[in-house]
Amino acid sequence: MIYRVRHRTMYDYKDPVSVSHHLLRLTPRNLPGQVCRGTQISILPAPHVTTTATDYFGNTQTFFTLEEPHDSLIVEASSELEVHSATHPDFSGSAPWETVVESLVSDHSAEDLDAYQFVFDSQRVGASLELADYAREAFPAERPLLEAILDLMRKIHRDFRFDTKATEVSTPVQVFFEKRRGVCQDFAHLQIACLRSLGLPARYISGYLQTLPPPGRPRLVGADASHAWCSAWCPGAGWVDFDPTNNCVPTNGHITVAWGRDYSDVSPIHGVLLGGAKHTLEVGVDVEPIQ
Amino acid sequence: MKIPTDNAKGTLLSTGYPQTAGVHDEMTASSGVLRPHWDTFIQSLSALGDQELGRRWQTAKQRIRENGVTYNVYGDPLGMDRPWNLDAIPLMIPPSEWSQLEAGLIQRARLLNLILADLYGEQKLLRGGLIPPALVFANPGFWRPCHGVRVASNTYLHLLAVDLARGPDGDWWVISDRTQAPSGAGYSLENRIVMAETFPDLFREFQVKRLAPFFRSFRDTLLRLSPVGRDNPRVVLLTPGPYNETYFEHSYLARYLGFTLVQGGDLTVRDSRVFLKTLEGLKQVDVILRRVDDSFCDSIELRSNSYLGVAGLVEAVRAGNVTVANALGSGLIETSAFMPFFPGLCRRMLGEDLKLPTAATWWCGQSKPLGYVLDNLDFLIIKPAFPSKGMEPVFGGRLGAHERSQLIARIKECPHEFAGQELLNLSTVPVWSDEHGLSPRRVVLRVYLAAEGDSWIVIPGGLARVSPSIDTPVVSMQRGGGSKDTWVLSDGPVDTFSMQRPRDVPVDLSRGVVSDLPSRAADHVFWLGRYAERGEHLARMLRCILIRLTGQLGAADQWEWESLMQMHNCLESPHARLSKEEPQGHPDPLRDLEQEIFSRIFEEQRSDSLTAILNLAGRSAAQVRDRLPSDLLRVLSQFSSVTRGPDGQAWGYVSVGDALAVLNGCIGMLAALRGIEMENMTRGPGWHFLSIGRRLERAIHLVKLFRTIIVPLSLQTWPALEMLLEVADSSVTYRSRYFTILQPAPVLDLLMNEETNPRSLAFQAKDLCEHCWSLSSMPSGAGWPISKQKRLEEAASNLFLADVHILCEPGSGGTRKRLDELLAGLDVALPAFSNAITHAYFSHALPERTT
Repeated sequence: MIYRVRHRTMYDYKDPVSVSHHLLRLTPRNLPGQVCRGTQISILPAPHVTTTATDYFGNTQTFFTLEEPHDSLIVEASSELEVHSATHPDFSGSAPWETVVESLVSDHSAEDLDAYQFVFDSQRVGASLELADYAREAFPAERPLLEAILDLMRKIHRDFRFDTKATEVSTPVQVFFEKRRGVCQDFAHLQIACLRSLGLPARYISGYLQTLPPPGRPRLVGADASHAWCSAWCPGAGWVDFDPTNNCVPTNGHITVAWGRDYSDVSPIHGVLLGGAKHTLEVGVDVEPIQ
Repeated sequence: MKIPTDNAKGTLLSTGYPQTAGVHDEMTASSGVLRPHWDTFIQSLSALGDQELGRRWQTAKQRIRENGVTYNVYGDPLGMDRPWNLDAIPLMIPPSEWSQLEAGLIQRARLLNLILADLYGEQKLLRGGLIPPALVFANPGFWRPCHGVRVASNTYLHLLAVDLARGPDGDWWVISDRTQAPSGAGYSLENRIVMAETFPDLFREFQVKRLAPFFRSFRDTLLRLSPVGRDNPRVVLLTPGPYNETYFEHSYLARYLGFTLVQGGDLTVRDSRVFLKTLEGLKQVDVILRRVDDSFCDSIELRSNSYLGVAGLVEAVRAGNVTVANALGSGLIETSAFMPFFPGLCRRMLGEDLKLPTAATWWCGQSKPLGYVLDNLDFLIIKPAFPSKGMEPVFGGRLGAHERSQLIARIKECPHEFAGQELLNLSTVPVWSDEHGLSPRRVVLRVYLAAEGDSWIVIPGGLARVSPSIDTPVVSMQRGGGSKDTWVLSDGPVDTFSMQRPRDVPVDLSRGVVSDLPSRAADHVFWLGRYAERGEHLARMLRCILIRLTGQLGAADQWEWESLMQMHNCLESPHARLSKEEPQGHPDPLRDLEQEIFSRIFEEQRSDSLTAILNLAGRSAAQVRDRLPSDLLRVLSQFSSVTRGPDGQAWGYVSVGDALAVLNGCIGMLAALRGIEMENMTRGPGWHFLSIGRRLERAIHLVKLFRTIIVPLSLQTWPALEMLLEVADSSVTYRSRYFTILQPAPVLDLLMNEETNPRSLAFQAKDLCEHCWSLSSMPSGAGWPISKQKRLEEAASNLFLADVHILCEPGSGGTRKRLDELLAGLDVALPAFSNAITHAYFSHALPERTT
């Protein structure tokens, strides 16, 4: 399937901003099942220079500065992608979850190390005994890892409600856990936190969903904005994605832009402003199949 | 201070020096005999006599106070600007011992630097199992945006500090490393300068190694770091600001090394380059010596809620346009948790054994060490493996049962976040006081290493810190400890290089404005002028009212009362507690007014009280203290004590007499401030901004006074004319011209139009213009708000051209409408001009915010 993605972010500032710096993570990654044919980022007002770099996690980041006073900012990223449908991994054939926890501590191969770093607390998502207890129900002794994670995802989906009013972008996992309401970012953070609380690696994925569902299928939650889900590592199978907001294991229709330990590693636009007082923000995402 | 009497005279050791069993003492061997390198020193010091020693040390302490050597203690209301605590007896280290230490320290710097280079690069150490990956991955000090960033000549640690302690066996042990922005080198320098001035004779006699060559080398290293190899690189010292615990040394080091002291707000990143925002525009910065921790350095790529750093700094470093010292991310190994791995790493990476032993440390992230720590909790200090998470080290043996089980639970839950370190029985060193003579204190020595070429050099000395008492096992300046100079003795002649240029080498003469004045600094200076003037105006107004409340104010003095209230109206305050009712219906209006005046003087919580305004002036000055005459700072530092009321009484219980004394004291001190400004400051942009601030503020108050007093002046408020003259300090001049005839026209002429009266509006306008002209013709004058200045001049000349007699004729309703209109013109033009200056020069000094 070939998709065209448009991600438009508009800021309106109440007072002019004299200088601003922004860091974008809007360029989708290239993956075994996903080829990004090209991304174009247009910025208004146009900055003198934009620089692109690859971050620690392999995401493409774009940095720019606006040096003239401005009272609005529009950033639009358009990408064209080929997405191939994937097959589900063998959930019940995966290794018992405890052996994965143990092997990570002692194995130092490049792949294991890469996974191992996602076991630890990050700025926004930390392990806790309470979350370990919550997750434990899905993790009886020697249960195959992926089967247990699938069950954990179902449990989260069952216990928590999607509600765009309940949380903000900076809401800690703990608050979401108590409120039981939130958005895809909260769902993803919670599942990551649960897995880390058991000593398992998990990472945060930011990306998109197809805006209009295939005929006969319901429209997924989070399709008109940028979406987030989580990914867990399993020896042999590699990284396997789980979308707790929609209670599904993505096979196609999930487009991966960036990954990191949590939202703060991959936020699509992060800015520092001089002046500007208050602002209003409008985000629009459009994902359409063109072929 | 106790003056030593004759019979107390004698040697320093006559009163005895207690020894503690099992503790190494720096001065005395276990036999009680002085160690050879101390023996002659104590003799020489004793030869001075108690009295002379006491006298010299008194002078030294005076010097420390006068030099403004301070240390800020967090969480203590009196902790700001606490005088630096230095002891008269240096820590002495003989030559042979030092050379051993030196070799071990240099090896350690090489090792630590190599470890950083690997972890921020290839990470072979993780794959090879030499460092447990959790120690890096779980560490908030591992800043992933810094990974893979090229670092000039692979030097991460341009300045490294190592804390050393001596155990009972007499060996030095490393107890901690400071790798990101080590503090204290400036204090060690100041300690040395004070000691050398106090004991010049001893200093020569003992061939003490000088510190200056170390700092010269450090400065040269920084200058060479300039990424483009520019001839005259701009190096800045980045400080978190005056509220940081060691701010004094930031400004001290900056001055000593010849670098500009800046705060994050002074810098900006444009086009992946770092610039200093000066009045003359943006100037590129090549090297940043930072005293800001990693996480605060860049709100874009590091921690997003920090305003202490520079947004985009990581990007600028990545682009190779600026060098940061120490390299961003070097805080990663600033933890004891790495220590157990150093011996193995040293053998593997350098092919040699670790020369300098490290205090035995166990990182709990591995099961064996974890077991050891839990079994031996009572004998260990439990330290955070990741200090940036904010946990304080605790002594296992000092915990209560409950705290103990809590700690054990926390360690078990997250073992990799903890490390245990053996408790060293620290050595002792004598401290001197004139009451007790010599007595022992625990000591820890912090030494510094500076990168030089591809190796490091060690400061021949360092900052010795002593515990507040012999029983305190912790040594910390934050907890009230003291400090000492460290004398490294030399076998041969010492290098007498001084950072001061030799007297016989001529320098190029330089004159006029060399500013690099950051816009933020100019902003603070401007507001210092405004606040100081605002304080003086308020003090004069309050004094004028209060002085009349002491007299017998009866019913006959109704007019006087009306006038007083009119004066008080000029002070309009949203916080006033005064009842607005007619005084007749009120039991004691006089007492109410008196209380209101007291509150306006003393009540700190009121944003418009004299105390609050003077605090603001002090705060503005604190932000630019490195650019102000020290006498001026000294005057400002007295403000807080002056308005605190006599003997610290609560202000509600102050008498009118006491309050008047406080006001007189304030007015005197503010006058001293003005005198210093006039006589002790170079006429650069800073001085002009300060003066413009003052003139604007005084003009604004005069306009207000005229509009409130003269415009509606009636027979009932006639006495206010006299008060007006008093507030404007022009009574004497007036009386000499008009004797006792009190009329609005001559008063207005003297206070508004008389150009020779420095308190008149015309004088403010004229002086303001002159400052504006001087400033706008300097290089920093580009962007001067000329149109607003013209508008101000126009409003002023309209006023001064009018006939005072006609202006003072009351019109219908008794008010002087024409006068009011003309004054209203200035009332608009003055603040507009102030805003225009702010906009033209200081708007980019605004704080940043993140989205």
